[in-house]
Amino acid sequence: MALLEVNHLSIGYQTPKGLLKAVDDVSFAVDAGQSLGLVGESGCGKTTIGMALMGLLPPNGSIVGGNVVLDGQDLSGLGEDALRQRRWRDIAMIFQAAMNALNPVQRVGEQIAEAILTHKPELGREEALRQVEGLYQLVGLPVGRLHDYPHQYSGGMKQRAVIAMALALNPKVIIADEPTTALDVIVQDQILKETRELQKEFNIAIIFISHDISIVSEVCEMIGVMYAGQMVERGAVGEVFRNPRHPYTKALLNSFPALGGPRRPLKPIPGEPPLLIGHRFGCRFCDRCPVPAASCKLEPPELVQVSETHFVRCDNA
Amino acid sequence: MPDLRLTDNGQPRPAPTPPITTPVMELVGISKFYQSRGGVFGGSGERVTALNQVSLDFRRGEIFGLVGESGSGKTTCGRLMVGLERADAGQLVLEGREITALRGKDLRDFRRKVQIIFQDPYQSLNPQLSILDSVAEPLITSQACPASEREGRVLATLKAVGLSPAEDFAYRFPHQLSGGQRQRVAIARAMIIEPRLLVADEPTSMLDASYSAQIFDILLKVRENFGTTIVLITHSLAAARYLCDRIAVIYRGHLMELGQAERVITQPRHPYTQALIDATPKFGDCGEVPRYNALLAPERQGGEGAGCVFFRRCARAHLTRCSRQAPVWRRLEDGDMVACHYADGAPDPGPDIAACPAPGL
Repeated sequence: MALLEVNHLSIGYQTPKGLLKAVDDVSFAVDAGQSLGLVGESGCGKTTIGMALMGLLPPNGSIVGGNVVLDGQDLSGLGEDALRQRRWRDIAMIFQAAMNALNPVQRVGEQIAEAILTHKPELGREEALRQVEGLYQLVGLPVGRLHDYPHQYSGGMKQRAVIAMALALNPKVIIADEPTTALDVIVQDQILKETRELQKEFNIAIIFISHDISIVSEVCEMIGVMYAGQMVERGAVGEVFRNPRHPYTKALLNSFPALGGPRRPLKPIPGEPPLLIGHRFGCRFCDRCPVPAASCKLEPPELVQVSETHFVRCDNA
Repeated sequence: MPDLRLTDNGQPRPAPTPPITTPVMELVGISKFYQSRGGVFGGSGERVTALNQVSLDFRRGEIFGLVGESGSGKTTCGRLMVGLERADAGQLVLEGREITALRGKDLRDFRRKVQIIFQDPYQSLNPQLSILDSVAEPLITSQACPASEREGRVLATLKAVGLSPAEDFAYRFPHQLSGGQRQRVAIARAMIIEPRLLVADEPTSMLDASYSAQIFDILLKVRENFGTTIVLITHSLAAARYLCDRIAVIYRGHLMELGQAERVITQPRHPYTQALIDATPKFGDCGEVPRYNALLAPERQGGEGAGCVFFRRCARAHLTRCSRQAPVWRRLEDGDMVACHYADGAPDPGPDIAACPAPGL
């Protein structure tokens, strides 16, 4: 049994226009030390999954189907108090936009110490700050900057501080939501490398959320491609990149400029993703699909296994 | 109304192809400094060099990539080119005319000829104006066409950037559009007065991959149909490779390397360009992208003042020479430019050759 199992998870938001099903029947599993990349366009539900795993869905959002099992325990049945206990201790999150994840009027080191103390009040402030020093060394931040405010940090330093906070309580699972999107290539490269080293050292499972396929291909062993709330393709990174089966995965790969290989024309995906309110017939990618079949509009395709480590939701794949 | 040279059916008019040697715009030794704010008592702060002696020329109908990290001065450079900032030294020349001294009508004329689109399409459109009003605004301020023709021209331009049916989009407001659609509106607003030069400052860094590819396509179409010179400011070498004819790499306000795009990517000469290539995530056919390991970690100390600006991070640097003598921005045999003592295949420096003159000067 895997460390984290997500089984047929569906998540909905109550909106004035009806239930918006942001995530529909998504399943995956991640083992300790493994990393899974979730990719897709904005609005495909990848961040919603991350928030649901953390138990941080907004008030109008809720899990409407399926469950999340961490270490054998079903998280979806837990109450708010029990969830708060597990949050950060078992499962932590590196938020998108590190600049907004830190409190601007509190010294960075103390914010991290506070997170530690909330879960381990018995440590005392001195010991907590000592632990933060260790975390700073771990993520490559100068210990001398412990008592600076967030605005005194550069973008890369803030991102490292947020990673330090995620590591503070030795979590088993880390959800990294676009952790390097706001950063330059060189800083991004450094942080990705460090994250991978830390992951190996502490045997952490990482769920890496990104719209940038090239990052996922560098960092993860497994990839899940999301479209309009559904997992349309999932498998080992090498296999999915070498042999993409779903038309959306193919289109996504064709819309990325690459640094190597011959200079090939990019093919933008025409149109926009569908609205997720109300019942939908057939395949969700049908309207933008370059190779739709007549039957695609009628029957929604199932996620089928095409090899030992490769699943596709397309009848014509 | 003026023909927008875009025809959906039938033959498109041939793109204007004047001699490629005429630069549309030239930057000659441009420098820009910012004074950081001093202490509580108003003491003068540190002087920060945003741009140092930058010389570039942009040819008619070319897409030129300006690549660098944040803080490298690439955005300052773009803002200078459209008159949003003034240089502290150097000259800005548009179609043979020095523009720093322009006033009144001449300045208005200059502003018509250069346009810019910004990174964040969510902030660059007025939320209270309809798309029609937003896109028509440059026509009104520049008095480019009679009021009766405005709407037709807006619709034609919206169509040209792929927003169709244009009649439908024209009466919407920014919040009703996706990020990709807004960026297209921004392009339409810039292109409606047919500028000679369009500066695109990180036009896709806030967008998803599928929208980015759409914007790239539109920029290529704009160049093809209007013959506009486009300066793409980006931190992505992959995007620059896809779009650009030539690429310049800039680091802390200093030009590092300039050359034909494919050459810069496949055979980078400056260690900083090599470091950027190393750091770019790769997928697909990446087997042939070599690793250069040109970036030093952690940074070394020294090299302040007279030395090379990249000295502290350069794994190739010669400790004495590069820390004391800044390399000259020089032209190599194939016409490309570089600022590195050891860029043209010079053998690795010996233990100490501080006194020897730079090669190829």
